[in-house]
Amino acid sequence: MSIVKTITPAPPVEADFASSRYRMIMAARFTVGGFAREWGHCHLLANYLARYVSANEGDPERHATLLSTFINELLEVIFRNHAVEGQIELIFRKRGRHVILQITLPVTEQNRVFYRMAVQIVNQPDLKSWYRARLEDPADGEDTMLGLLELAAVYACSLTISEPPGQDRLSLFLELPEVDDMGEV
Amino acid sequence: MPVALNMRLTGNEEQEVTLTGTLRPFVADEMASVRSSLEQAARTTRGTLCVNLKRLKYMNNVAFLELNRFVRWVAHTRPGLRVKFVISSVIPWAVRKFQVIAELYPFVTIEVYDKAFYPIQQVIEDDDFMNVLRTQQKIIWEHEREKLAWHGLRPGLRIADICCGLGDFAILLQSDFRPEYLIGVDHSKPFLRYAWQLVSDFGLENIEYQYGDAAALLLPDNSFDFVSCRLSLQVFHEPDHIVNELYRICRPGGRIYLTNEMMSGVTGYPNEEVIRHGYIRFLELCRRVGMDLDIGLKTRTILHEVGLEDIKICLLGITNMNTAPHDFARVVESWLRTAKQMAATANAEPELYEDVSAGLTAHIEAITRDNGFAMWPIFAGSGRKPFRTS
Ligand SMILES: C[S@@+](CC[C@H](N)C(=O)[O-])C[C@H]1O[C@@H](n2cnc3c(N)ncnc32)[C@H](O)[C@@H]1O
Repeated sequence: MSIVKTITPAPPVEADFASSRYRMIMAARFTVGGFAREWGHCHLLANYLARYVSANEGDPERHATLLSTFINELLEVIFRNHAVEGQIELIFRKRGRHVILQITLPVTEQNRVFYRMAVQIVNQPDLKSWYRARLEDPADGEDTMLGLLELAAVYACSLTISEPPGQDRLSLFLELPEVDDMGEV
Repeated sequence: MPVALNMRLTGNEEQEVTLTGTLRPFVADEMASVRSSLEQAARTTRGTLCVNLKRLKYMNNVAFLELNRFVRWVAHTRPGLRVKFVISSVIPWAVRKFQVIAELYPFVTIEVYDKAFYPIQQVIEDDDFMNVLRTQQKIIWEHEREKLAWHGLRPGLRIADICCGLGDFAILLQSDFRPEYLIGVDHSKPFLRYAWQLVSDFGLENIEYQYGDAAALLLPDNSFDFVSCRLSLQVFHEPDHIVNELYRICRPGGRIYLTNEMMSGVTGYPNEEVIRHGYIRFLELCRRVGMDLDIGLKTRTILHEVGLEDIKICLLGITNMNTAPHDFARVVESWLRTAKQMAATANAEPELYEDVSAGLTAHIEAITRDNGFAMWPIFAGSGRKPFRTS
């Protein structure tokens, strides 16, 4: 596997989020230990958060089903790639009809490499062919990055990373596609 | 992993494997039983293997990859076999996800089964017809509200209104029968948007709308006290599927409530012969587009066959003497417009529409005439879901 070196778009900085274009919807924080105890937490949490974020939509359930699909993929990746201790923080914001999910988590050096690589792959120009190639030549075990690749290649989500210097934490920003009030991408 | 698996062998040419619920495994190994069922089905099919995902609400990438591996297995092990993924437009992530697989492998197709299954949907989503649906609601409601308590409706219930149309029922119930919670399901996004706007305008928080297929609802089993389906069974080829779904989501002890039309009983005076003949021909036209507007007569049988007890039926007898004739006439005028569009859809011979037109025009005359009499019978029926099935 080779990675084409490309420039990834800069993640939004806190100052951006302060602008009136962004509307804060909700924040949640929990310990890595509690979250990682059970795989089922990804599903439960994704559904719960999605439902909350979709509360005021025309078809809240369908909207939430779609959001849950995106949030769950991200949570599953986090479940498999995080440091053993610390807190995970989730912030949901909205800009127009886009939901932006910021997730901050404790990482090991190995995790950090994984996330950097994921963001790089997701942001390469020919993502669709990449994604298709990986489906045509699937790995034997679990391809844990493919979930993120699909979010970008199939649903046009964007993924960026922010690494505050000198910390064992990093943030991922997942910007979801425009979703209408009926839950249609 | 709460996924339900179902296999149906429909002959050597076609097999169907159905997955419903949630498929979000940690590793592909957890899908061993799904995988082996798929392989078994593939081995015994000569033509097409259908993988039915209509009601698979959640699926993660681990599961998707395993399906992808299965498709590749088919390519190597069962060349010549076709694989069809049957998905629903109701599941918001499904079409895009499976499109990729269909593009990758020439022997794979996807079928969005509910793309256009209600032949007159376009006709009725038109603005003008939406107004008419509202008028129709208005005149029916005056008669229906008096009967609802008898059918077991009272305030504080959890209600599902299936095929809710413009959602008026939810609003109308607020004054006398305010539900604890009501969910309206319909397969028309314009209708649902309209309904939701109305609910937001009224600031009602106990009402929710959902895009869905009445024959494959995503609502959980045994979860509503009162399940209504008003003037809608008639639009389906196979109303049994819908009624089974109504039954499934109703809690034991809860009630299912239907209203059904009986077009063959629509009549009026003068010109009763022309009117009757017109409606008989209208029925014929409706049948050609797959609708049974005489289903009212079958209400008791339908409620009985699905297994309900304490069945009640009453007639909502709308006449030009207990209803504003102007509104009544507008409703019939709208049927006439619908009939015209239906005739075009069905490619019907011109005489059919001419008969319908003559009959309905005579009906309108009877409605609006000072000394005329006209009626429109609707059956309202309900039954209770037993606590224990024998
Ligand atoms: C004649 S209208 C009745 C609407 C409403 N119950 C009323 O009384 O005014 C029939 C409704 O069934 C809806 N419908 C048709 N096929 C459907 C399906 N498969 N699932 C859910 N709703 C469907 C249509 O969109 C339409 O709103």
